[in-house]
Amino acid sequence: MPQITEIAKTGSQRELEMYFGPQHLGMVGNFSITLKVEGDRILKATANPGYLHRGFEKLMEYRTWIQNFPIVCRINLVEPDHMEMIYAMGVEKLAGIEVPERADYVRSIYLELARVGSHLFGLWAYANMLGFDTVAQWAMYHRDLVLDLFEELTGGRVYHIYIWPGGVRRDFPKGFKDKIVKTLHSIGGCVPDYDDTFFNNRLFYDRAHGIGKLSQEQAKSLGAVGQVLRATGMKYDIRRVEPYAAYDKVPWDVPTREDGDAYSRIWVVRDEMIESVHMIFKLLDAMPEGSVYNRIPNPFKWKIPPGEAYVRCESSRGELGLYMVSNGEDKPYRVHFRTPSYSHGLTILEKVLESESVADVGNIMISLYVVAPEIDR
Amino acid sequence: MSSSLKDKLQSMFNNVQVSVLEETRMAVSVPPGSAFAVLRYLRDSGFDHLALVSCVDWQEEGEIEVVYILTSYMENNTEYAPEQKLHLFLKTKVQRDKPELKSVIDIFQNAEPYEREIHELFGVHFEGHPRLIPLFLEREYKIPPFRKDFDTRKYVKDTFDSIPLVED
Repeated sequence: MPQITEIAKTGSQRELEMYFGPQHLGMVGNFSITLKVEGDRILKATANPGYLHRGFEKLMEYRTWIQNFPIVCRINLVEPDHMEMIYAMGVEKLAGIEVPERADYVRSIYLELARVGSHLFGLWAYANMLGFDTVAQWAMYHRDLVLDLFEELTGGRVYHIYIWPGGVRRDFPKGFKDKIVKTLHSIGGCVPDYDDTFFNNRLFYDRAHGIGKLSQEQAKSLGAVGQVLRATGMKYDIRRVEPYAAYDKVPWDVPTREDGDAYSRIWVVRDEMIESVHMIFKLLDAMPEGSVYNRIPNPFKWKIPPGEAYVRCESSRGELGLYMVSNGEDKPYRVHFRTPSYSHGLTILEKVLESESVADVGNIMISLYVVAPEIDR
Repeated sequence: MSSSLKDKLQSMFNNVQVSVLEETRMAVSVPPGSAFAVLRYLRDSGFDHLALVSCVDWQEEGEIEVVYILTSYMENNTEYAPEQKLHLFLKTKVQRDKPELKSVIDIFQNAEPYEREIHELFGVHFEGHPRLIPLFLEREYKIPPFRKDFDTRKYVKDTFDSIPLVED
């Protein structure tokens, strides 16, 4: 773009500042970006979070350990399950609670179902934004089938509050295993259709290839995790590098791509979804019998010994962490979530938007898998 | 890994307190002046992923503790060596009435929004930060809102109860 840089150097009057979101149609979620543009080329992007800042971390300091569960799952509405998991892991670590083996398997299966549901939601957003409305509708329908499973298991469709310190709330109901298998088979049977209409479609390639490119060095220095990092070739997955629940009990693979652009990121999402489904089948086969819950002390009088903990798990967006401090009271002293969208939506988004086209802002943002409430908390 | 790192840190820097919390967790407390140098040393010795910059307000001690949580990325894209599983908490305490600390953006670029957030919510000033402007909030606060002496419920009552109802 030699002309544009020349004009920028000479201080042309053609630079324009414009707002992208929160009302813009290309924006997913309550988030906005201020763009400084020259023609349709972006010179500088500034992310503006805060539309959903509810001060959850402060609010949690006023509530008992157990009362915080309904709050944590609202941090990320697309996949509240990993939020429950990370909070339960933090409480278990501080209080020294063990989890029965069967509960580990139930948790893993439940979290992988959540990952499939969340990726289908992400696929809906991405396909919708690119104009593949049919694929978007399929993805939303298939996500609904996963939500039906959650409804039967937990009673809630979106917010489940199923994972508790010490295990899970209840065991699988009768015949639930078969239902999981049946639902996943009916979704998996549509993979060829998805491939034909979307993933192998030339239009998708043309729109996404080379867009929002990030080298591995850049990704590492900007703190990338999840698909954003795996799309640059690194098999970095918390489930693999620091296994929790039952992820070290069955063999599975970490899908990666090399190019680091939007195209690679969406392909990683697709491969990961398929890998998750295979993993669920393996976990269902290997699941032992037994109890799914270890008793915890009376939640109304529960005081956790002083200490601090940092726990992490792999949500469908990347490394999800929780730093928690207890001072020996019945409430947390300090809670701080390390959410994957935080680096992706602020540091990385601002970086990769530079010199891209205005038409690709939504494309890049959704391919980075940014969920605004996770940033604001 | 953890014991050799402990020796190295204690020989290289003054006033460094290292405690091994468990096999994969280690806490390093440093005075605020040397936090930057220790962080750069740790980055160069393999802790190349800054997972989180957090902050705890210890009101009774009159101190604010800034915590940098460091982990490692994979070295060759596929393998994660056992010694890389170590998590490191780098902690430094600053005075509550005049909290100042040097920004670490030159070492870890992704610290930028974290420092902005801590500045806004805890009132810690980061020297050398290029844009220390509010990240989330839109109102002015006398006390930074995530400090322990900021009472959320009282603030809500004082601020929003004085707004008259629509029909009045």
